Amino acid sequence: MTTIYKASAAPPAPRRTRHAIFRLSIVFLVLGLLAYSWYGTETSLGRLVDSGPRMAAFLDRMFPPDLTWNSVEPRPFAPPLRLAGQAVIITLQISILGTALGMVAALGLGFLASENLTPHWVHHPIKVFLALLRSIPVILLALLFVMAVGFGALPGVLALAIHSIGMLGKLFGEECEGVETGVWEAMDSAGANWFQKVRYAIWPQVAAQIYSLTLFRLEMNLRDSAVLGLVGVAGLGLWIENYRRAFDYPSVATLVIVTMLVVLVVDQVSFHIRRRLR
Amino acid sequence: MIRIEYLEVRYGRKPPALSIERIEIGRGERVAVIGPSGAGKSTLLRTLKGYVRLSQGKAEVMGVNLATAPRRQRRRIHRRIALIYQQFHLARRLSVLQNVLCGRLGLTSRWRSLLGVFTKEDRRVAWSAICEVGLQDQVHQRADTLSGGEQQRVAVARALAQQPEIVLADEPVSSLDPAWAEDVLELIAEVQAHHHVTLLMSLHQPHLARRFAERIIGLRDGRVVFDGPPAGLTEDRLEEIYRGDEIRRLNGATRPRSGKSRSA
Repeated sequence: MTTIYKASAAPPAPRRTRHAIFRLSIVFLVLGLLAYSWYGTETSLGRLVDSGPRMAAFLDRMFPPDLTWNSVEPRPFAPPLRLAGQAVIITLQISILGTALGMVAALGLGFLASENLTPHWVHHPIKVFLALLRSIPVILLALLFVMAVGFGALPGVLALAIHSIGMLGKLFGEECEGVETGVWEAMDSAGANWFQKVRYAIWPQVAAQIYSLTLFRLEMNLRDSAVLGLVGVAGLGLWIENYRRAFDYPSVATLVIVTMLVVLVVDQVSFHIRRRLR
Repeated sequence: MIRIEYLEVRYGRKPPALSIERIEIGRGERVAVIGPSGAGKSTLLRTLKGYVRLSQGKAEVMGVNLATAPRRQRRRIHRRIALIYQQFHLARRLSVLQNVLCGRLGLTSRWRSLLGVFTKEDRRVAWSAICEVGLQDQVHQRADTLSGGEQQRVAVARALAQQPEIVLADEPVSSLDPAWAEDVLELIAEVQAHHHVTLLMSLHQPHLARRFAERIIGLRDGRVVFDGPPAGLTEDRLEEIYRGDEIRRLNGATRPRSGKSRSA
């Protein structure tokens, strides 16, 4: 039934901003917060300018990056390029395994966390649980796992997996909440159980997006895993930290460049795959 | 097959959505439910499917009283009742065959089906259902590439794959244009006769009900105001069912309706 609305003589007046004072106070609040943080962190232009020479000296010490293969003088560690291959591989392995473990667990939890697929006494606690997992920064998780299981790759895998569960579980759940549910009922009407309904009514609708989100998580996990070396997880980060402690700044520079290259390559590959998935 | 006595369904404190003294439907009957929007057609079908809780009275489907039977018994008849929807509700990214196989989910091995594995029997039943609705050539096509009429045919095949004893069709042709609507109804009627299933379909247009049903139940405000063969559905009786605002539809005027979608 279509109703025909007659145009009134004049267009309605724009909505009056009744809350001008409210808006203004928000602006002041934000400005105040900025100022508070500025002074709290002792950020000052003077100090930034003063540390200019120090930064220059630091960069100078890093330059040129150490690209030697055979070094003649004795040094605590082998030349960075010799280690780089191994380090890149272990970093990639940590992030791939961490992401995969996280994805598998997040799949199950994601479906359970979806408001349209489970009763509230299921999805509520699971949402809280996922939020808890997310609330611990990766580096803290890695620190805890290093203490729990020792140095090496394993604490990195576990840290990334736990964090990925929290992030992916939430995203998967939200993805499922956006699907068309008629087909869910149709499957139910055919006598399908919960798992079958998820498999045939939900999964086809969300699979592409889930793969895409997982790849995106892989990119982020790769960057994170490079940092985890600081707390003793094997990989690129660990070697950067080792060279730094030995004051071998040119080698640090080399590995930073290697890290950037690896991340860029993985980003590009993932980007192209994800574009295909859409 | 279906037996309703003093059934009442209420949502909240509003007047009952359904208040039926008595309906009895035997095996193999082909019944159309007609009535204006909001008369309770959908509610009646969904009640029989077990999706709506009875407030009062008795609804016996295949010998199981929906009001009192334990969950397991209701579950058992649940899969023998197929539902066909106005909006088809197909898995749009799956192929015709996969969609029809979904009709087997309640009958096949639960865990193997999760891996996408169906038995020979499942595939045989699905294929014969696809042949019956005439979609052999589109069997591997994705469901969302089909026209509306073809999609409803897939839904009919899915219902058949369920090997149901009762088929409930909730406005199966309301989102199709008139030519496709008759085509799909013809198919449903054919399939119903061939498998001798009990068919209960809600229809928005009385002229379609007259043509495709052997018995018509007219609902108004949740009450049965007509129950009999099409021949008995005179203009007067129609007037009584529709009264006033919906008179225009009596002449067969069709108009696409926006879908009522309710999730279980």
